[in-house]
Amino acid sequence: MDGWIGKILRIDLTKGNCSVEDLPSGLARHYIGGRGLGDRILFDEVDPRTDPLSPENKLIFATGPMTGTGVPAGGRFIVVGKSPLTGAIGNPCCGGYFGANLKFAGYDVLILEGKSPEPVYITIINDRVEIRPAAHLWGKGATETEHAIRSEIRPEADRWEKNILSVATIGPAGENLVRFACIMADGGRAAGRSGLGAVMGSKNLKAIAAHGTGEIRIPDPAAFRQAFQDFLKEARENKELEKRSMWGTWSLPGRANRSKTQAALNFQDGYFEPFTKFEDPAYIRNMLRARDEGCFACPFRCGKRARISDPDYPWTTKGPEHETMALLGANCGIGSLEDIFRANFLCNELGMDTITAGATISCAMELFEQGHVSEKDIGYPLGFGNAEMMFRAMRETAVRQGFGEILAQGGAAVAEKYGRPELFMGVKNQGMPAWHPQGIEVIGLQYATSNVGACHTKATLPFYEGRKDPAHHVELTKQDQDYIAIVDSGVLCWIIYHGPLWNEKPLQWLRLTTGLDYSEQEVALIGERIWNLERIFNFKAGLSGKDDRLPKRITDEPRVKNQVVHLSRMLPEYYRLRGWDEQGTPTPEKLRQLGLEKEGAGLS
Amino acid sequence: MRIKIDHTKCCGCKLCEIACSLKHTEGVNPQRSRIKVFIEETFCLPVIAGPFTEAACNSKGTMLVDGVEVDGCVLCRASCPEKTIYKEPDTAIPLKCDFCGDPPDPECVKWCAADALTIVDG
Repeated sequence: MDGWIGKILRIDLTKGNCSVEDLPSGLARHYIGGRGLGDRILFDEVDPRTDPLSPENKLIFATGPMTGTGVPAGGRFIVVGKSPLTGAIGNPCCGGYFGANLKFAGYDVLILEGKSPEPVYITIINDRVEIRPAAHLWGKGATETEHAIRSEIRPEADRWEKNILSVATIGPAGENLVRFACIMADGGRAAGRSGLGAVMGSKNLKAIAAHGTGEIRIPDPAAFRQAFQDFLKEARENKELEKRSMWGTWSLPGRANRSKTQAALNFQDGYFEPFTKFEDPAYIRNMLRARDEGCFACPFRCGKRARISDPDYPWTTKGPEHETMALLGANCGIGSLEDIFRANFLCNELGMDTITAGATISCAMELFEQGHVSEKDIGYPLGFGNAEMMFRAMRETAVRQGFGEILAQGGAAVAEKYGRPELFMGVKNQGMPAWHPQGIEVIGLQYATSNVGACHTKATLPFYEGRKDPAHHVELTKQDQDYIAIVDSGVLCWIIYHGPLWNEKPLQWLRLTTGLDYSEQEVALIGERIWNLERIFNFKAGLSGKDDRLPKRITDEPRVKNQVVHLSRMLPEYYRLRGWDEQGTPTPEKLRQLGLEKEGAGLS
Repeated sequence: MRIKIDHTKCCGCKLCEIACSLKHTEGVNPQRSRIKVFIEETFCLPVIAGPFTEAACNSKGTMLVDGVEVDGCVLCRASCPEKTIYKEPDTAIPLKCDFCGDPPDPECVKWCAADALTIVDG
């Protein structure tokens, strides 16, 4: 097998042993890797009705045939598990070097199962896999843990290359089973959504460190090198990519604000006045950038490392992306760059998804301002724009102290508890990302139909050429969702491949890395199969078409541009295009076409 | 002809390491690359493998790079008995940059999208 290594590493934390299995080539062919392969393994091995925080849930770290090969923007990995936040499938994607290192160590997939009797961390150095005690790391922040593990393992190569050991870890939030805890890797990269950090915490697993000296084989290195050069030439002429390299996503808060699609004050508005100063992204870059950072094998370096002046944080972390700036900034009424950066640092250290954390806190802020929850209940005035109180809320959430105990359940539970469930701005309990759907309607459809709850990375945002005409938006949403499933299975970076280079590229890389004769139709079918398999998992877990909905504020109250999102108008068309019935259930014909009859049996 | 390194532009993506291993070994394995990127919090530093020396030198020290103290051995290009990099991981045979043949046509420079590596005359 070229591209893939062909090995699965399985670690049983209950028994404390591990085994290496062959990756079945048929499975690899039909599900590629990353998200597709991870989804399939989860589906086969975990009962969808399992309690996500029980030992029966599994955590699957999956790389793809392109991970670590040098495919541009293809150094990523996916973590798959049943989400404790949404109760649905969760498959966040993460950058950095961890995915590549896992592959160089000799494994495509790492499956974690069971529950360790005491806190542990795992080291994977080629074929040497060890489970080590982690009691001394419990309670430590993500970056702190990373450095502590590095100095314990001290791989010889670290002296010459530094940070050669890749560490994926949880922060205190994951340990304390905060429902939107994330998994942090390589000093600030995050597998953020769906709360899989809590699943890792529930297994008493603090971190995984990986490093390898193995090789990934490419069928035709000369052709691959030529394809890379052609890609680079094309990319150098692409203005959109030039902006990505220069600004990362820092060019977006200003743009979103200008076009009134910026989530602000718990989605009460699409515009936030203090963000006008971000219209020039140089303002952000000049103030905070320490250096540009490319993930493994990424020529676009959109990651911007940043630091804050705080003796407690001697390290840099990855600077906040647009989503973080929107949710922890505008959506909480915070306009100061220093405050947003500090909030980002805090989330990274504590190990919380910045989007759902922002959505949860902004929901609490609105509840507080409207008087549904009193200062006595919270313990401090948690109003919009109060940065200090927001930091306090975050810290307390991560350790489940005081009001944090309630926040740690997620925004939907907070809103529910105080009798105003409609004030949580999310889908399937997961907070909505930065783009206000009332600015561009189709974003609402993308959030509502995403299998993992509100998410911006599961379809293509409608900002690019050929994506702007609303008449095609529903059709394109279906098409793009299937396409992104392939991107996530590569594992390629959504940020690069969802927009300006959205074309035949992923298919080309798939052929070049695996040497297999994948056709356009086959790949499109695989994408659709992945999407439907996730849907089947969710339905078996107890979700239904009724969960494809948006908060009332988005569908009923015109807050932005005097528009609402007509979800009830778009959904029937979307279901029809998907080959699902009116309730959004995949029909037997569709399942037969995708080869999922057995998996989908008993669905309708 | 030389390869000029501008460490202020390096982003640590390690594409140069991939390019080098692909060109020289027909597979992808950064550990077999003749160029290595040292990654610090605030900068990244590509270093190209020089000739093998039989003995380690005794002029050890540290150097300041952008205000950060870096072990002099990291900056030294020589592949010496003390150093574990610039050696084949399995056989420990020393590796040395050969500028990808004659005339020089270094693959790493071609792959560096950040322009941290460039070819200069002299």
